[in-house]
Amino acid sequence: MKVKNFLADVRGASRVTAARMMAFDAASPALTDVDPIGNVSREWHPGPIELVVTGINPACKTAKTIRFERTDGKKLPFFYAGQYIVLDFKIGESLISRPYSISSAPYEARADKPFVEITVRRSKGDGFICDYVNDELKVGDILTGTMGLGQFYYEPLRDAKHVVALAGGVGITPFASMAKEVVNGTLDIDLTILYGSASSDDIVMKEELEALDGACDKLHIVHVLSGDEPGWTGEKGFLTAELIKKYSAEDTTYFICGPQVMYTFLRGEVAKLDVPARRVRFEVFGQVKDIAVYEGYPRDLRDETFELTVVRGISEVRIPAKACESIVVALERAGIRIETGCRSGECGFCRTKVISGNYFVCPEGDGRREADKDFNYVHACAAYPLSDMKIKIPIM
Amino acid sequence: MKFYKDHYDVIVIGGALAGLSSALMLADKGLDVLVLERHNLPGGIATSFVRGGIEIEAALHEMMSIGPKNNRLKVGKFFDDMGVDIDWLQVPECYHASLPGLEVTLHPGLERFSREIDEQVPGTYDKVLKLLKLCDTVFNSVNELSIHPMSKPQMLLKHEAFVKTAGYSTKEVLDTFDLPQKALDLLAPYWIYVGSGFSDLPFTIYSVLMADYVGYGSMIPKKLSHEMSLKMAERAEEMGVQIEYRQHVDKILVENGRAYGVRTARGDEIHADYVISSAYPNKVYTSMIEPLREVPAEATKMVNGRRLSLTAFSVILILDKPAEELNIKDYSIFRGDTMDTDVLYENLAGLGPYRYLTCICHNYGNPGVTPEGTCSFSVTVLPRVDGWKTVKAEDYDRVKHEVAKQLIDDMSDYFGVNLLDHVLECVIETPMTIAHYTGAWNGCIYGYAHTMEDHIVARLQTAEAERFIEGLEFAGAHAISGDGMGPAVTNGRKAAKNILDDIAARKEAN
Repeated sequence: MKVKNFLADVRGASRVTAARMMAFDAASPALTDVDPIGNVSREWHPGPIELVVTGINPACKTAKTIRFERTDGKKLPFFYAGQYIVLDFKIGESLISRPYSISSAPYEARADKPFVEITVRRSKGDGFICDYVNDELKVGDILTGTMGLGQFYYEPLRDAKHVVALAGGVGITPFASMAKEVVNGTLDIDLTILYGSASSDDIVMKEELEALDGACDKLHIVHVLSGDEPGWTGEKGFLTAELIKKYSAEDTTYFICGPQVMYTFLRGEVAKLDVPARRVRFEVFGQVKDIAVYEGYPRDLRDETFELTVVRGISEVRIPAKACESIVVALERAGIRIETGCRSGECGFCRTKVISGNYFVCPEGDGRREADKDFNYVHACAAYPLSDMKIKIPIM
Repeated sequence: MKFYKDHYDVIVIGGALAGLSSALMLADKGLDVLVLERHNLPGGIATSFVRGGIEIEAALHEMMSIGPKNNRLKVGKFFDDMGVDIDWLQVPECYHASLPGLEVTLHPGLERFSREIDEQVPGTYDKVLKLLKLCDTVFNSVNELSIHPMSKPQMLLKHEAFVKTAGYSTKEVLDTFDLPQKALDLLAPYWIYVGSGFSDLPFTIYSVLMADYVGYGSMIPKKLSHEMSLKMAERAEEMGVQIEYRQHVDKILVENGRAYGVRTARGDEIHADYVISSAYPNKVYTSMIEPLREVPAEATKMVNGRRLSLTAFSVILILDKPAEELNIKDYSIFRGDTMDTDVLYENLAGLGPYRYLTCICHNYGNPGVTPEGTCSFSVTVLPRVDGWKTVKAEDYDRVKHEVAKQLIDDMSDYFGVNLLDHVLECVIETPMTIAHYTGAWNGCIYGYAHTMEDHIVARLQTAEAERFIEGLEFAGAHAISGDGMGPAVTNGRKAAKNILDDIAARKEAN
């Protein structure tokens, strides 16, 4: 290039190149692989890790707490109380992932004998992974898991110091993690948990919660039973606005986690509290039970099965896909791996390009980017086929 | 199952702006290109994410080198030429400077900018305009010379200003203008976009920065930088480029001094005539080249002899009031308790308190970017990697929150409004966040520091000597044009051009 020859002639430029040469000449020729900032990011988010089941304990009549440790015995990744772990299962030909709120505390993941726990309730017939975890999983089983996911945690720059947690059923799990962290002195909030159950037999993690309550004046656990129970002296009924108000401070952040029906009820109750939107945080509730209940879903198609052409790299395969099941479920049934996170349409781990075909996107928690919508990207956990389709997913 | 072809002309590691620019240009010339991106979407930090139903810009403050539709600058023209049709919005101002004794909003246009400085510091109009015109002349020379080789007499005749200033620092050249301190202060805020103190910053870089931003203003894509990244990726695929997401390249395969392919973390070995790496030379030469004995000592000396530049720390807030109700009145605010860039550069080596903050309220450039009754406001510092390298994993969350708190508190004081009382969503991006999503070496987003010995002119002059492995090109902030989203595109094009030139030379030799 002429520029170089010319510039080599000008005084200033030669000063520049000479300095460069000298700096490089003086430098060490040793290979030094030092990326401490990258290393910290990998300690927090190492990606999928191999876990072994080291304990299974009942958490009530219908739920179990599963303890995992790393197969290499190392500490588990850092996470915030309230976050979830995604576990990968291979059941028959299916490759299935599920997110579970972590019910153990962050400090326990970093302790001398580090572990992480989830607490899973047996389903009432529609969640076969929950049943698998309750009935089939045994000590010594090895799984992969990705943890420290989700946005459902206390953020000191956003949330009020006084936190009221509204829990229903197995939705207690993220709050159990927070409660343990509060008692340990590593989460500096005043936490009141209002925990709604049908009866005292249905309270998940009852003994654990009892041991925590009273262990520290920053934690209060209030059970609320909806059914009549002889001898019960505690709170009764539902988590109404009136009850919530009773336990609120002047400035309170509400965290809500429970079954879908509870959300519908609580949205109404929380509205009556007249608190700013920023003070109310709902956890995502996972895969919808019946997509056909949503407005805009063509109910006449719900029993159809379509052909889904799946492109990975230069390869294509064709699999069946039911209109009433998400694209992720179709892939998992066919044994095709796809990365998933929240399974609620929000996190975007399963971001997928639709090349052709029609689909329905669950309007609840549609977390897609605007430009993605323009170019037919979907979050496959929340997208349902309405015709034969062709999609492209990452090679895994 | 076969996911890749047996052979590609070029494999591009990294589907961010530089890598995608390379892919577009190579595909345009009919080459068979594979892009491997570690994340599940394109763009690197030129991306967005959704929190609480609101899409949030991850990194872009403003894009340089675009220009209006009828008068495109080089990056804008490249997008047009490639058929990447982005919905650009003009940023309404250069910046609001909040500096000791100064509160002023400056606007693009060399004359207008000079006049606005003159209003603050009377009697400086002619000198400031002369300086900006010098910058503009150097800028035009840089643009022309990087495309059209030229004979020595022509250079002397046409590019005298460039030649004369190429060997001098910004401070050395600014000193010759004999401007009052306040005027100099108002001419300095953009320094953070190139990230070197003026004693170290080559005047050539300062010229490009000022002429581009002040002369033509800046742009943002309507649907955030993900619109830009996605449209580049979609267009590249339309042109035949194969893009595979979630593919982490572990190794670059080299034999007899020539790259011939890559191996992914999944275990796929893929072959090509050329490889373009968006991964830093630091990472490539220390752990990616296979076998490592193919790395010459000169390559590691080069890496060890260069200084990594800046990383980024941002706290992004979605606030539950419109901007004006929170006393936020500008798209961009540069705030410092001094405008001595050499002092500020030293301050960036630590973990705070940081003395120079860059704030963006996207609603002013992009109305409707957040739901009605809310606004988006981010505070960014661009620290050197040095301080952040000392942060341990167990202290990370505490340090991150302390720094974020300082930034929010400083701006709350400035606005006279406690921003913490209005936070709908709060996202803290750190050097570690960048490392996590992009794999950038030490989370560095600025590549190597622009210094007098690591100068675009020096980089151009030594580029041939610094190609240590045949068939391996670099594209990213660590390449010749350095940091920034506009320069990322230029870096990607340069890598592609090197390959096209090499192919042409080989053809001729046969």
